[in-house]
Amino acid sequence: MKNGPLFLFGLFLSVVITWSGVVLGSHLQLGGLAPFYDETESQAYPQRPLGTAARGQLVYADLGCAACHTQQVRRPDFGSDQARGWGERQSVARDYIFQARPQIGASRFGPDLANLGARKPAAPTADALYELLYAGSPTHPAYPFLFASDRVVGERSAHALKLSGAKAPPANREVVATERAQTLVAYLLNLNTGYDYPESRPLPAPAKPAAKEEAKK
Amino acid sequence: MSTPHRPDAAVDPAAMTDENLLAVHERMLGKQPDEKAHYRLLPLNLLFFFSGLIFFGGTYLGRFSGHFSPKVFNEYGAPPKPGAALGVAVDPLVLGKTVYGQVCVACHQPNGMGLPPAFPPLVGSEWLAGSEERVIRILLHGLVGPIKVKGVDFIGAMPAVGPGSGYNLSPEKVAAVLTFVRKEWVGIDTPILPAKVAEIRGKDGTRAPLTVPELEKIP
Amino acid sequence: MTTLPTHAAPAEVTVIDTHARWPLLILLTAAIKWLILSGMLALISAIQLHSPAFLSDCAWLTHGRMAALSETAFVYGWAANAGLAIALWILGRLGGHPLRALNWVVVGTIFWNLGIAAGMVGIATGDMTSFALLQLPRYVQPLLVFAYAAIAISGVLAWSGRRRAVAYASQWYAVAALFLFPWLITAAQSVLLWTPVRGVVQAIGAGWYAQGVLALWLFPLALAAAYYVIPKVTGRALPSYEAAPLGFWTLIVVGTWTGGRQLVGGPVPAWIPTIAVVGGALLLFHFVICAINLQPVFTGRGTALRFFRFGLVAYVLAGVLALLTSFRGVALHTQFTFVDAALNQVSLYGAVSMMFFGAITYLVPRLTGRAWASPALLAGHAALVKLGVLISVGALVVAGLTQGGLLLDAKVTFPEIFDQVSVALLINTAAQFVLLGANLLLLVNFARTACVCGEPVPAAAPDLFRQPATVEAPAS
Repeated sequence: MKNGPLFLFGLFLSVVITWSGVVLGSHLQLGGLAPFYDETESQAYPQRPLGTAARGQLVYADLGCAACHTQQVRRPDFGSDQARGWGERQSVARDYIFQARPQIGASRFGPDLANLGARKPAAPTADALYELLYAGSPTHPAYPFLFASDRVVGERSAHALKLSGAKAPPANREVVATERAQTLVAYLLNLNTGYDYPESRPLPAPAKPAAKEEAKK
Repeated sequence: MSTPHRPDAAVDPAAMTDENLLAVHERMLGKQPDEKAHYRLLPLNLLFFFSGLIFFGGTYLGRFSGHFSPKVFNEYGAPPKPGAALGVAVDPLVLGKTVYGQVCVACHQPNGMGLPPAFPPLVGSEWLAGSEERVIRILLHGLVGPIKVKGVDFIGAMPAVGPGSGYNLSPEKVAAVLTFVRKEWVGIDTPILPAKVAEIRGKDGTRAPLTVPELEKIP
Repeated sequence: MTTLPTHAAPAEVTVIDTHARWPLLILLTAAIKWLILSGMLALISAIQLHSPAFLSDCAWLTHGRMAALSETAFVYGWAANAGLAIALWILGRLGGHPLRALNWVVVGTIFWNLGIAAGMVGIATGDMTSFALLQLPRYVQPLLVFAYAAIAISGVLAWSGRRRAVAYASQWYAVAALFLFPWLITAAQSVLLWTPVRGVVQAIGAGWYAQGVLALWLFPLALAAAYYVIPKVTGRALPSYEAAPLGFWTLIVVGTWTGGRQLVGGPVPAWIPTIAVVGGALLLFHFVICAINLQPVFTGRGTALRFFRFGLVAYVLAGVLALLTSFRGVALHTQFTFVDAALNQVSLYGAVSMMFFGAITYLVPRLTGRAWASPALLAGHAALVKLGVLISVGALVVAGLTQGGLLLDAKVTFPEIFDQVSVALLINTAAQFVLLGANLLLLVNFARTACVCGEPVPAAAPDLFRQPATVEAPAS
């Protein structure tokens, strides 16, 4: 290639084109995605997360939980996501518009967390989550640095963990969740894929060719 | 691999100088320093392969891209038609029940029995079972004065709840709540249509609350 | 037919090499040290996969951060420094003039490595950005752009001031890597860090960037090395070289369209994974052309070519596997599993790093004017690193396929999946040990070759490097 500036320009143009197509194109399509207003409930979805939950997402991000957990539920005929009770519908772009840094993740060494706060039959309790984060489990690392072990002076703290057995601290000490742990648990329990948007519904079964035309209404 | 007894075992000897490297490959590209660039044609098999890949790509795009619509998350799906209602298909019974719980329940009670002597029951009410024109107008304009429901006298003041009133319910919501109460407590399955509510609203405009004699004049 | 130029054929080691000796050796030293560090971090990360309690008490070493640290050290520490050194060296030699702006190279190297080190501390203390391959904290990112530009200027100048008007494939690839990376990372920073886009568009942007790091930066650097060393050592012109420009432009134009391949079935519009598949299919053409062009590597001899053989096979395999795992039918079994980690290992270690090792094997004697201190260590490093990559990729593929199959069955709980893949993950840890050991051998060998204190470094060792014969172009 002889022409120097033309070569460099060609390289630059290639990157600009691919960035425009993939990133800018997605941004133009999804950047202005608005909440969906439901007439029946007179409510717009998704709802903005609570302040503590939004801060908890930062804790989730900086601990790198996305290294093992995803937050995206796939559609029913693509994997066992919904059969495992992780969500009642697939995740769509609208679910993430109010998240400062969506942690959709790319690895599932641990379960998906997209709908943790609204799991059926029961979402995990805050106590269970605190215990898991403090002590870990054979398959989950422990995060003891998210907790403080304080001497009990007078009454026990309201935020003290209810631990028993080998994990419990000595009698005169209690384990208290730090603010980071509290916001993280608030975030986890606030995760839900609540509302069923039009675009998240599964495709109708292609019964007849005429029915196929009705595709996504 | 290097045999240990060779003196330059730890140096891979070059078999070509840089100049040579450049010259030889430049010649293969078919360019002379003073010529405009011209490229040799690709070997035919590579050309076919590339064309095949492009063909595959094109058909794959056509089939699975959902027409590049941001609303299509399933690659087998098609984008919604431009004229299609983008909203959720609202079930009037569900909407009606919600509206009833927000607006009507205070007076007509959750069980629809009302509260004598002011609030007539809706259960089995002959007014509800009667003419649509009348019952729609009750909601749109309100009702004052005495009214006899199921042989019992009631006297009270029902506020207007339709568009333009304090509650400002849309024609959809008025129709929905009427559909709900008629199905729930009178057993009538025919829904009331929002279009009819809007039509009556358009015809009547805003007016003072009705009395029973005025209501009875309406067919 | 003779192709001798009018002036005398240059010696194998010239002033171009001696002039660039110290800046490039600094880059290579930094690269190898980062390689060791990233090996240690990868080892810890691998252990934490099957023993979650390992080092979990320390906030700096928790698994999420460890994964980010090892990946950052590998890509921005080892691959960046080594790739830049190799690219500059090749551009200098093919340009025909000693490299200019080498002071800037040294300054850039120092700031780049300081920035990465500061970034690593930042990640460990909790400032990581949570975007794959862009985990460095916001505050070091602008520094990296400028440091990189400072180093890259020398290479671009060497190319623009080259003796021969027509550039060779190595030069295209090296200049592309040097020129494009600042744009790539700036574009990613702007949509992810400075003015973040909304919702899932961040994931799309992050996927685009991660693919760009491979397709527009690391693969071109590796290919620049391959296209240079292979004909130099084998003494043969590359077959079907006339297809090489098309292969180059296919990679550059189509490479980053495959960024959405990990978002299959995800909360993104369907067209994004679809164009990833289409891009991956078109990119096959590039891999085929590279395979055709670089096939003389299989007939050559020498230590460097050993690395390039492995690297070329891994490179083509990486392209094919990337395409395969983008298809939804295959992704059903491999998405979110260790198969992605295996593919990363094949691309980053098997392809890019092995080609870098080959280039370093060829480069260092010419740069230092001395033969490698220990051919045994060289051979040991080659064997062990190949073994390590093979074992780790194999183990991760087995773990991933097992995991994928079990994930599809809704009745299998995660502790059960953990038990089933533990053995494969243990084998992967063993492989990381082997890789670390191999790279320690390289470090020792390199230190003994390049940094012999007290002994003056010869200006050129004419008896060490035979004068190569002139090679003719193949009949057209």
